[in-house]
Amino acid sequence: MKSLTAKQKNLIWIWAFLLPCILVLLLFYLVPILTLVYTSFTKWDGANAPVFTGLTNYMNLFKANDFKAAFINLLLWSALAGTVHVFFGTLIALILFKEPHGWKFVETVFMIPNVISMAAWAMIYRFVFNGSYGLLNGIIRIFVPGFAVNWLFQSPYAFWAVTLTWIFYAVVVTLLVLGDLKAIPTDLHEAARIDGANEFYITMKINLPLCRNSIGTSVICAISSRISMYETIALTTRGGPGNDTMNIPLILVNAINNSKYGYANAAGMVMLLLGIILLVIVNKAFRMNESIY
Amino acid sequence: MIMNHAKKIFYYIGIYIILTFTVLISIFPIIWVIISSFKTNAQILSNPFSMPTAINFHAYQAVFKQTNFLLYTLNSLIVSVIATVISIVIYAMAAYVIAKYDFKGKNLVYSLFVITLLVPAQCKAQPIFSLIIDFNLYDTKTALVLVYLAAGMAMSLFILKSTFMSIPKDFSEAAWMEGSGFIRTFLFINLPMAKSGLATAGILMFLGNWNEYFFAMLLTVSPVNKTLPVALASFNETYSYNYTNMFAALTMAILPGIIIYAFAQDQVTNSLVSSGIKG
Repeated sequence: MKSLTAKQKNLIWIWAFLLPCILVLLLFYLVPILTLVYTSFTKWDGANAPVFTGLTNYMNLFKANDFKAAFINLLLWSALAGTVHVFFGTLIALILFKEPHGWKFVETVFMIPNVISMAAWAMIYRFVFNGSYGLLNGIIRIFVPGFAVNWLFQSPYAFWAVTLTWIFYAVVVTLLVLGDLKAIPTDLHEAARIDGANEFYITMKINLPLCRNSIGTSVICAISSRISMYETIALTTRGGPGNDTMNIPLILVNAINNSKYGYANAAGMVMLLLGIILLVIVNKAFRMNESIY
Repeated sequence: MIMNHAKKIFYYIGIYIILTFTVLISIFPIIWVIISSFKTNAQILSNPFSMPTAINFHAYQAVFKQTNFLLYTLNSLIVSVIATVISIVIYAMAAYVIAKYDFKGKNLVYSLFVITLLVPAQCKAQPIFSLIIDFNLYDTKTALVLVYLAAGMAMSLFILKSTFMSIPKDFSEAAWMEGSGFIRTFLFINLPMAKSGLATAGILMFLGNWNEYFFAMLLTVSPVNKTLPVALASFNETYSYNYTNMFAALTMAILPGIIIYAFAQDQVTNSLVSSGIKG
């Protein structure tokens, strides 16, 4: 390959091949992010030029009740995503790794909710949680006749209804962890068995520590999905009742619709920064930069 | 010995309860929606578990007659296919030179490309909204194509770069010895060998585009440009008292994704593993 690189002609081709990609990067990442950063410090309605206002948008954002509610929701959702969601996905991975009868079927079916549109999924859940003819109340009424909770429109049920639209759908976690499990050298397991370790010990002391990269990645994916969760809220509760299910993207879209562009971008900046903080923390916590073997 | 046996039975009961739960939450809501699309409105309202008395497709016909369902589906198809094809072309080109050549600035360019993965799409909503208005593309399919093109950048490059890297360079060198130029080596030697990676990235992009709601909602208003997920959300008002039709529309909207998955299960699984973006 070395003989190719020296060619000047190739260099022109190389940059020609990169050009479309660089254009996309400039137009749809660099320019928007610079706009985001700059205008988050301005008052801007789209029609007139942005006016610099310092931290006013951020102050207003942090004072707003819907943002406070959204932030608390996000903390709770992130905690649930990083624990229950990732735990459930990992549990399924550990079970499927043993390849019990029907494991392939379970893996296949578990994926289905992820191949359909989040908007359609939200609509389906609208009907699942419907107070009168919904699926969930139908099931509960078998055990508790006359049960009537309007899941999406009653506090505090709405928060948990929105949570249920994602918390157990952890197929990405399962697949990531399963990938790591399959990469563990089998002689490690054999050696442990010869030493008299039982399966539980092998899982806790060998398998899980060796999966810390995929579990760390899963925590990042799961929590960043909560930061940007929009459809399953906007098409069900719209953030209500009150601000019970409010999330930052809904605040952002509302601000755009009200032509409060600077304010919208302050909310966007908060999303961006939260994502970066999350990445740094999880990377440290799971020691993801250190090699495993 | 007996203890061990009992333990084993409990273990299997335990894991099959968990697996059954997983299967039920994954498909039961969908099956329920499909079954409900064959029931009458009265049946839906009276008992969520009642079975349809007759199988007919009246509700499906009604959806096509009463809404622009076909138009929305076509819009989705056009936008998704065009965005997927263009992005595969430009990302394959970029991934190819990054995988196969050494040049100054390569690491910087590649890091900039993949760092985009860290940017949540929604946080750019307002800047992109303004950009599209500045381009005079508000409420056009072109706007969606452009936005979707950008969305798959990091993931497509990941997948395609590793695909091109796995192609032995002997092939390129041999072609080069025989006087094959840059473009020919790319088009006729490397591209055909990267088929599986192209398919994986393509399916990932297509599914993402087909299912995208957020920017479609933000950037389009008129029926001629609305895509299926956005239209579906608006059916809620159209069909607020006709649940049979709503369930029929939902069924038709989710089937394409499931069909693609049925035919390209491995690619879909691979692409989701390498992305970990949804869910």
